[in-house]
Amino acid sequence: MKDFAYHKAPDLKSVQQLLTEFAEHALPVAGGSNVMVDIRNGRLNDRELIGISDIAELQGLRFSRGKIIIGAATKISEIAVSQLLAAKAPALWMAAQVFADPIIRNSATVGGNLAYASPAADLAPPLLALNADLLLLKKGGKRKLPLADFFLGVNHTALEPGELIASVEFAANARSAFYKLGLRNAMAISIATAAAAVKRVRDGSISEIRLAMGSVAPRPVRCLHAEQFLLGKQALHIDPEALAQALVWDISPIDDIRASAVYRRAMAPVLMQRAIARACGGCADEVFAGKKSADEGRAGA
Amino acid sequence: MSGTLQISLKINGESRVLHTAAHSSLLNLLRDNGYFDVKCGCEQGDCGACTVLLDGIAVKSCVILAMNCDGHEVRTIKGLGGHDRLTSRLQKAFVEHGAIQCGFCTPGMIIAAGDYLRHDGRADREQIRRAMSGNLCRCTGYQKIIDAVYEVAAELESEVCG
Ligand SMILES: Cc1cc2nc3c(=O)[nH]c(=O)nc-3n(C[C@H](O)[C@H](O)[C@H](O)COP(=O)(O)OP(=O)(O)OC[C@H]3O[C@@H](n4cnc5c(N)ncnc54)[C@H](O)[C@@H]3O)c2cc1C
Ligand code: FES
Ligand code: FES
Repeated sequence: MKDFAYHKAPDLKSVQQLLTEFAEHALPVAGGSNVMVDIRNGRLNDRELIGISDIAELQGLRFSRGKIIIGAATKISEIAVSQLLAAKAPALWMAAQVFADPIIRNSATVGGNLAYASPAADLAPPLLALNADLLLLKKGGKRKLPLADFFLGVNHTALEPGELIASVEFAANARSAFYKLGLRNAMAISIATAAAAVKRVRDGSISEIRLAMGSVAPRPVRCLHAEQFLLGKQALHIDPEALAQALVWDISPIDDIRASAVYRRAMAPVLMQRAIARACGGCADEVFAGKKSADEGRAGA
Repeated sequence: MSGTLQISLKINGESRVLHTAAHSSLLNLLRDNGYFDVKCGCEQGDCGACTVLLDGIAVKSCVILAMNCDGHEVRTIKGLGGHDRLTSRLQKAFVEHGAIQCGFCTPGMIIAAGDYLRHDGRADREQIRRAMSGNLCRCTGYQKIIDAVYEVAAELESEVCG
């Protein structure tokens, strides 16, 4: 028997009130694309559903003083059509292009994608690579949490009972990129994803780099070993074998219905190379010296 | 049983006050109240048969919480055909191209195509395929559907340019 109650939260004040009142029984519902599937499949029951889709303060994206701030209830479709994000945070914009299908993107939200904490959440790797922070709200207080500290396991986050994601913010980085491998070109849950954000200094070496992957561990992960390996290297002469060696330490893929762990392990460095190459502003042939001359890789050149 | 809640919304231009369970989907709310033109396929967000317009934007009604639509406006294919010019043109093109066989996917297909074209969708077969990638058809093999949408897109482009 399904047993739910519903409360609409018209504004931030009322949502904080409701979340405090019902604590671990409360379940915010934004777009509903995860929640409704779980209710239908019997994975969820006996919850106080809190409607947050009408809260104006949680909507929209803004750019101020080099920072991009995105409200938690902002739709994926708004990310996908944003010229600002295409230019200033291409990793996130690219992830929105290949997220589900255009109709799901019209209702699915940024906050819902992160809070559901699927290992395959497509917005997680780009936002990790962009070093995003979450603004979390609770009655009587708010805190900023690095996204890197947010994901604890499958569907498990650092959100406390009564806490809400209000927004996600990060510094713009035009040198960022994302790649998704799915079973189809559209409407596919990820087999593996990779995101990269880099800073280069004048001599062409990498002075700062953040890498993240999805669907290769119980949670979206930062790839710290691979980052360490790349620091100080010339962006246009990366040894792909050594990168793959480093990446092994960052991921722990499993077999599931979409792909085997072996396949994921084989594809992870390929996706990561593409993301890094794109972020560095070149094609994979140029950036990865090991791939030999450019014309070998290009058909009909 | 969880008790039923009251919900007020506009459906196809008409203000309605209805009753629903706290966890009902918008799809179930609509079908429970006789809007059978909204089709129930997978109820997982995968097939697109249940696509409707919510505040003018195409959504899959099976993955929308009905109560979240309190105070909002919904349009189903019946509230669009004959009222909205673009929808009528798409319907005509679907018929002319034989893009309808059993018809189960058609309401969702037409609403998804309309959403694409209203957002400056081009007459580009690849783009159209991507726009419709969340709408499944078990009968036509898609080609005729793509042809129908392409034709309307091309007409719209020539009207703007010519
Ligand atoms: C057909 C289909 C295809 C999909 N394809 C993809 C895909 O390609 N890539 C992908 O990453 N995902 C995909 N998803 C999953 C889903 O669409 C996304 O995770 C989506 O972003 C969830 O957002 P929502 O607003 O619909 O979440 P909801 O279902 O409303 O909520 C999801 C969870 O987040 C919580 N929550 C929501 N907002 C907040 C908030 N502000 N603060 C705290 N908690 C909150 C809810 O309580 C709930 O636990 C797909 C889903 C479907 C049905
Ligand atoms: S019934 Fe809603 S997408 Fe299939
Ligand atoms: S016409 Fe039968 S499912 Fe499309």
